[in-house]
Amino acid sequence: MEVKTEKFREVANVELKNERAQAFLGLLPPVIGMMRDMVLKTFPDPVAAQELSAAMRAEVVANLPDLLEEFEKNAERNGAKVVWARDAREANEFIVNLAHEKGISYVTKGKSMVTEELGLNDALKAGGVEPFESDLGEFIAQQLERPPFHIVGPAVNVPPEEIRDLFMEKAGLKEPTVDPVELGYAARLFLRDKFHHLEMGITGVNMAVAATGTIINVENEGNIRLTKSSPRTQVSVMSLEKVVPNMADAMHLMRVLCRNCTGQKMASYVSMDTGPKKPAETDGPEELYIVIVDNGRSAIYQDRVAREALRCIRCGACLNICPVYGKIGGYPYGFVYSGPMGQVLNPLLLGLERTQDLYRACTLCGACKSVCPAGIDHPSMFLYYRAKDVEGDAGMQTKDRPTAEKLVMWMMTFGMNNSWAWNLGVKIVRPLFNRKAREGFLDIAPSKLAEGWFRCRDLPAIPRKTFHGRWKNLKG
Amino acid sequence: MSKVSMFIPCTVDVMLPKIGEDMYTLLKRLGHTPIYHEEQTCCGQPAINAGYQDKARKLAKHFISIFEHDEVVVSPSGSCVYTVKQHYPELLQDEPAWLTRAEKLAGRIYEMTQYLVDVLGVTDVGAAFDGKVTYHESCHILRGLGISEQPKKLIEKVKGCEYVPLNAAETCCGFGGEFSNNFPEISEAMVKDKVTNFINSQADVLLLCEPGCLLNINGYVHRHHPEKSVMHIASFLAGKEA
Repeated sequence: MEVKTEKFREVANVELKNERAQAFLGLLPPVIGMMRDMVLKTFPDPVAAQELSAAMRAEVVANLPDLLEEFEKNAERNGAKVVWARDAREANEFIVNLAHEKGISYVTKGKSMVTEELGLNDALKAGGVEPFESDLGEFIAQQLERPPFHIVGPAVNVPPEEIRDLFMEKAGLKEPTVDPVELGYAARLFLRDKFHHLEMGITGVNMAVAATGTIINVENEGNIRLTKSSPRTQVSVMSLEKVVPNMADAMHLMRVLCRNCTGQKMASYVSMDTGPKKPAETDGPEELYIVIVDNGRSAIYQDRVAREALRCIRCGACLNICPVYGKIGGYPYGFVYSGPMGQVLNPLLLGLERTQDLYRACTLCGACKSVCPAGIDHPSMFLYYRAKDVEGDAGMQTKDRPTAEKLVMWMMTFGMNNSWAWNLGVKIVRPLFNRKAREGFLDIAPSKLAEGWFRCRDLPAIPRKTFHGRWKNLKG
Repeated sequence: MSKVSMFIPCTVDVMLPKIGEDMYTLLKRLGHTPIYHEEQTCCGQPAINAGYQDKARKLAKHFISIFEHDEVVVSPSGSCVYTVKQHYPELLQDEPAWLTRAEKLAGRIYEMTQYLVDVLGVTDVGAAFDGKVTYHESCHILRGLGISEQPKKLIEKVKGCEYVPLNAAETCCGFGGEFSNNFPEISEAMVKDKVTNFINSQADVLLLCEPGCLLNINGYVHRHHPEKSVMHIASFLAGKEA
């Protein structure tokens, strides 16, 4: 997919003024967040449940290479074909070629973030294979050619009138209506027809169980199950960190995932595929391909701090609680992963240079970390990326900091290491700083460098005496 | 009674020295004779947040050398305490001798309300205030240090004052140090929400334990709602009946 991470500010400022986006952001994330909190309480010990899932994900990251080999062995024993893709090009080429081999003209897709990351839809289209997203929200977003607004509700911000017009044009809606049930039904009829004649379905994977070679999907619309069970050929694409050691871990992670993602105890549909259809069975695909995507993750894995990003299970709890996401929505992040999850992942997948604003547009409030069922410490990751920019790291494609900032940091550090310099510095800066002060406050920036602050705020003028200066009087 | 050493963060030293004086007054009232090391400056939080780890490491060592012989260190800023407790050991993890010194200090430094309630066991500090107050849960205090009940227990015992809850009290106010200056539009939307909730709470005064949030929220209030006020809890608790 097209990467627009450099436009973060620009798009964020547009979204801040977009009334419809603001109305949804005021509603959707807090409501999902509240449902999450409520449903988490159905665990006998919610904190322990989250800690357990975090520990499980930590174990996965620690043993990733071994788990992947074990998964491959068992999946192949079940009759699945495991394909390793080093990057997006390899993954897309394999899938498009497979479609060509089978003479396939269209595919349906289950909502899958990794295929978005790969830009698979564009590759399919370029190869003459029409992809149809089958998740309702994703279907709408795809037809509108818009990125997902929210991980769970990709098109939740699209007004029904726009959906009506879209469906009239592209999804066979006969009579104009904004009734959500009617609109849903139109999409259903349209997609049912696609499922009916389907030769190849493409889905993502929520979990790949190493001990059994099983792939698991959770969903609420049944479209993934239809995408997996209708065609002769099933292609399931997973980023390599989706593997888990065994079924017991998978069951716990599933319970945690559903609670954190949609505030449900369990999603409406859970499908587990342990290989393709066996000779005596009536349902299921004849061929099952599991494409395991690296796309830069092996390189990430070499870095002991960065690899913690691979714990993520894509639940989206961090989006719903993030105060920045709650103001700007999913578009500004400019890539498939948005919110804190995207701020952690996108810089690693795309390099730091073009994702600068992602890990800087954060107050380090730690709300994301506090809800993460995978135990990711997002703020620490952002500080790590910021530090990498200062140090320079070719592998992470870092960007050097501005000279002015380096100079300010140098001066500040010198002052902070020497209290005489600190006190002298304050004495020198004070009159310059206070030049425009009125009644003890500044309402315009004393320097161009501080204009951002004064956009909506005042600042106290620097008082005549610092605490240092007052101490002698104080202690008497 | 233990000897309390005051860590006055740079924001308080330069911009808000009254908060430091108020903490001193309060500790004196509780029978302490607080000490203040004049060599102190800043914990290095801005350097850490901007990614200047080498510089932050130097500041951490400077800070540790100044405070490591104190029995107890108390500060009116939770985020600075969090820096010492959380970030110093991370910064110094490859220098075992310094790491030990950092960890020893980490166990003896407290945010002010935490020290009063958890260590001294005091909730009634003899303060009085006539009016309605509410409380903002600063991020590093709530999620960083796990402090939330302590300030409320102190507020409850203040004579003449009524505490009212704040909607979305635990949501960030949009400060984030450099964030507030670098992403002014997003920051504005956040602080505006915070202040709207403050106004809807019907409280006269918003209390908090963090100078950063105070500069941010008060900066917005000063421009848009001058009839309201934002107050550091040290100043609030230092107040007595007239």
